[in-house]
Amino acid sequence: MRSLQINWYSLLKRAFLWSIFLGLGLYAAWPWLPGVGAKHPRAIVVYGFSILGEVMNQGIFPAFQAEWLARSGEKIEFVSSFSGSGTITNQIILGVPAQVAILSLELDALRLVDNHVLAGPTWHDLPYEGVLNRTPFIILVRSDNPKGIASFADLAQPGVEVVHPDPLTSGGAQWAILAEYGSVTLNGGSPEEAYAQLLGIWRNVVAQASSARAARTQFENGFGDALITYEQEAVWDLGRGKLNALIVYPESTILGEHTVVMIDKNISPAERDLVEAFVEFLWSETAQRIFVEYGFRSVDETLNAANPNFGVIAKPFTVKDLGGWVNARDEIINAIWKQKVLPEVGR
Amino acid sequence: MTERTLSHRQRAATLLPVSLLLLVLLPLLLMPLAAIYIFAGSGGWQTFVTSLSQPDAQFSLRFSLLIAFSTALLNAVLGTFAAYVLSKYRFRGREALSVIVNLPVAIPTVVVGTSLLLLWGPIGLLGKFLDPLGIQPMFAPAGVLLAHLFVTFPYMLGAVKPVLDELEVTYEEAAYTIGASRWQTFRFVLLPALRGGLFSGTLLTFAHSLGEFGATVLVSGNLRLRTQTAPLYIFAQFEAGNIEAANAVAAVLATLSFTLFFILLRMTQQPRRSAE
Amino acid sequence: MSIVLTDLTKWFDNNLVVNKVSLEVTDGELFVLLGGSGSGKSTILRLIAGLSIPSSGRIELNGRDVTFLPVQSRGVGFVFQNYSVFRHMTVGENIEFGLRIRKAHLKERRQRTEELLDLVGLAGLGARYAHQLSGGQQQRVALARALAYYPDVLLLDEPFGALDVKIRAQLRTSLKEIQRQLHVTTILVTHDQEEAFELADRIGVIERGHLIEVGAPQELYHHPCSEYVATFVGGGNVLIGREEQGFIRLGDARLPFPPGAPVHDPGSPVRILFRPETVSIQTEPFSEAQKIHILSQGQIVKRIFTGSSQRVLLEVENLEGMRPLASRPEYGQRVTHIEALQPSDASNALDRAWEPGSKLWIGLKQFHVLEPVSLKVLISSESAFTQESAAQFGCQVARTAGGNATVVSVVNSAAEAARRREDLETLRQSWISDLPHLETRVRQGDFNTEIVHEVQEGHYELVVLESHKGGLMPSSLGQQSTVRRLLAASEAAVLLVRKPHPRLERLLICTATGEPGKSDVLFGARIARRANIPTTVFHVLSPQASPVDRRRVERHLSQAQISLNGMGVENTIKIAEGPVMETIVGEIERGGYDLVVIGAPNLFISRPISRPDLAAQIINHAERPVLIVPMIQ
Repeated sequence: MRSLQINWYSLLKRAFLWSIFLGLGLYAAWPWLPGVGAKHPRAIVVYGFSILGEVMNQGIFPAFQAEWLARSGEKIEFVSSFSGSGTITNQIILGVPAQVAILSLELDALRLVDNHVLAGPTWHDLPYEGVLNRTPFIILVRSDNPKGIASFADLAQPGVEVVHPDPLTSGGAQWAILAEYGSVTLNGGSPEEAYAQLLGIWRNVVAQASSARAARTQFENGFGDALITYEQEAVWDLGRGKLNALIVYPESTILGEHTVVMIDKNISPAERDLVEAFVEFLWSETAQRIFVEYGFRSVDETLNAANPNFGVIAKPFTVKDLGGWVNARDEIINAIWKQKVLPEVGR
Repeated sequence: MTERTLSHRQRAATLLPVSLLLLVLLPLLLMPLAAIYIFAGSGGWQTFVTSLSQPDAQFSLRFSLLIAFSTALLNAVLGTFAAYVLSKYRFRGREALSVIVNLPVAIPTVVVGTSLLLLWGPIGLLGKFLDPLGIQPMFAPAGVLLAHLFVTFPYMLGAVKPVLDELEVTYEEAAYTIGASRWQTFRFVLLPALRGGLFSGTLLTFAHSLGEFGATVLVSGNLRLRTQTAPLYIFAQFEAGNIEAANAVAAVLATLSFTLFFILLRMTQQPRRSAE
Repeated sequence: MSIVLTDLTKWFDNNLVVNKVSLEVTDGELFVLLGGSGSGKSTILRLIAGLSIPSSGRIELNGRDVTFLPVQSRGVGFVFQNYSVFRHMTVGENIEFGLRIRKAHLKERRQRTEELLDLVGLAGLGARYAHQLSGGQQQRVALARALAYYPDVLLLDEPFGALDVKIRAQLRTSLKEIQRQLHVTTILVTHDQEEAFELADRIGVIERGHLIEVGAPQELYHHPCSEYVATFVGGGNVLIGREEQGFIRLGDARLPFPPGAPVHDPGSPVRILFRPETVSIQTEPFSEAQKIHILSQGQIVKRIFTGSSQRVLLEVENLEGMRPLASRPEYGQRVTHIEALQPSDASNALDRAWEPGSKLWIGLKQFHVLEPVSLKVLISSESAFTQESAAQFGCQVARTAGGNATVVSVVNSAAEAARRREDLETLRQSWISDLPHLETRVRQGDFNTEIVHEVQEGHYELVVLESHKGGLMPSSLGQQSTVRRLLAASEAAVLLVRKPHPRLERLLICTATGEPGKSDVLFGARIARRANIPTTVFHVLSPQASPVDRRRVERHLSQAQISLNGMGVENTIKIAEGPVMETIVGEIERGGYDLVVIGAPNLFISRPISRPDLAAQIINHAERPVLIVPMIQ
């Protein structure tokens, strides 16, 4: 009699356990079960640098899906990953199946060429030589700006805590370095003064994140007095009323230009038409308007008026003013920041 | 009277170390876990459900579970086999092999990911030759599975091998003399004896796979709706500042892990109790 | 015949664990294999069951050759010392496991299980698990499990070894009843004599893989053939005397050969066995009417009261021509100990007189004469025999030692083997009158390995090697030489011969190497006694030796003399001073010795000695045969 009871109990327990496991398994495998869900649609694999997450997922992808559906009647899917520009470049070099990559800076595209992912600077064949949109680099400070920060020079003052993305993985960080340096040299300052400013800012860096987006999260979590970041980040939040910080426009700063790259070896002939249509779509007025809406400055300057939140930059400059990307990388990022500033800061 | 004071003193004597332990555990373990639930619920039930029902959140959970199931299943077979060979056969290099097999516990998971990439990736030692054939295990579910098998292998082994080691040789031999074939001996004599170890090993593997991050982030390519596991999703969302989205999935993951852990605890205690 | 083993042999790596065991066990017999730990008894059982594969030999079960059959198809029941009851199965499931494997019907299984539970006395416990049973009960389950599928033979490996005494006795009785009832042929392995005597129809005594003797319990106890069985089975006193005009001379005592005793050569050693319970002791001399063989006078050393009886340890002055074997005396000790078992009768008038120290007369109610043995000699023969010193001298030694010799040749090819066989046959013929039992053998393979194997298989006590084959370099013995290997792998002494030496008339025992040896003296004495030749024990003291060293050596040598006298060997003791090598060689030249005995200290076996090795030097300088005796502690 006693043994019978025990059997019931253990049987129940076992049934319970199994049903938990079966339930979990069923839930997990549901979309892949035969007869559930439709046939897998064609997909475009897009890798983008960090701050593109929202504009692509919420703006560009649905817009293109709608347009493509209208044009051809086909439902398509986007598979995407957003991370630091350097990170995705590294991933692409290692072989992730990205078909379209939107990189923060042309330098990363050049690395793809160096590593034989691309045959050459193929993005030059795209509209605007592959530049999708622009973002100036600005300083974000706490709402009441207690440290009274108004320029890059102020960031070099002792006692200011700066959150900065990591130049090793973040494209935005490299742009930021150029802004911190170029804003001096291109406005009559000597290289020594520029170096002093760069060093001063980097002495004040209290947190480094792997991407501009991550740096922003850190700043929002309460780290630091100031963040050097894309204007888009701030403007987009400002537009939504979600910005609980203050944008400081330096008198002179760099206009970041973001590059679109098609990775031909990951595009099968069956998908080529779709991918090409998508890339073409990126420069369409529809797409560019979406970018502006999300805080990016369009390559078509006339569209920028649509966003009232863009601030005024007195003396903007681009990487061309610094002698192009290769030069900027070798002379500024490598020769000055990496070889002089970093060791000095580390000391 | 004396009795009471004594018990009082005794109670005080236990109270002190227990409260000290709690004092240590609270900020170390309990409060961070509580934070997940508090944050997940802070936006209200509606936000929680919306965050959780995002297609990519759903995908990441399902994908993680599937990978965990497959990992646990495959490693149950592989780990039992490895444990059987290492425990029952005497051969040259057995000691070395035992150490090597346990190595994945010792090396950081990020290193595991890197090493897998450098072997199977398109520019890796073997991947180099596979890539032209169109075989690409990395940045695909297969790569994630591979990484998880690698990382969790020792847990399965660690759960099964001691049980096998403890069984006397004569246990098997008795079955042979009775007339049981090797397979019958394994099926009817060894396997039932291993049941406990196998079960806890599988659960451990499952739980580890569910939470694996370091190796996965490297080998998966972190593709939404393709290879993004739940921990990767949490990390990505957290980095992007979508704390609600991250927390919703984190809460689900934590609950799952708690449940598994609870079952594991019950299971490992059960046989001991009945043996008394 | 239910179980027939033929020349069953098992090697584990380089150890011979089972050595040519042949045995027949009849239907329904309960056969007990009795032996110490490591004797190979369990291995034999495992070989029969198929849990281990023999290196050579044949196993038949019920007329079926099962030598290479897998375990599963042999149909044996096996019970292990540690029960090995399957823990996750109930008692009932354990028992019916064999039938389940054999796909028997549920009804049949249940019925058989009930039957067996009844048989082993566990009725009603079928639903229990192993951890709910005592050790004795678990072993009963194991027994029932092994019997469930009607096995042809039942094999029990120390089944009671893990149980306490009381349970053990109960289980023994049960086992015996069950075995009688089922009439299943059974082999039981044990190290416990009492168990063996109680259970066995027949007992096989096994030592170092060798099945030494088989017989019914009474037979083995009272009339064993071999010394090992005599001393291993039950407590026994074994004394060595000498044949003298048809009688056995034991010190002053002269005992008649009992009827049926094996024939002994005149003057050859005679070993007699008598059990403690057949020893009579009394204060006054025995009278004719008592029909007791008077042994000697002695005194009581110790009395141990064990309940129903008392053990009395007696001390007898070591008399010329008598040597105790069972309780070997300490080296250099004069006295012999004899054990007597007496009823512990409180009213025994003698009781008070039996205090330690009292003098008593010792007599034997009965005794048993063991088979005569001689030194087992292996002679290595590597070239045509006529020029060969080793074989010729070896045969000479073998003849002296009693004629128990084997000549072995190791060759590389089958063709060579045939040629060598002829050579050996010629050698055998030439010695046939002196050595009628000379055996010859040809082995193929590596010389070192084969010689070592032969020595281990044959239990030889002495190996004769030609010195160049012995690996003797001009000045030292190489690390890998045959000599070293033999000394390391066996307890055999090695005789190295370089040049033909025609005679064996004088023996020199050198105790100079390392610690003053004991086994070298005793082994030399054995040869000297058999050959009946005078012996010199020689020790070289270094000039720097302290008085303490000198006294130690003197003490050692006088002990050696006592031992030699005890064995009836004519002897001389010499101590010399000077450089070791030169002094020894000088002594050899002067004394005209035919054989030099030296001990092999442990360091000789384990590591190379820095100074050129003594044995090699003696051989090279004195050109006499050298006998190297391993030091056995």
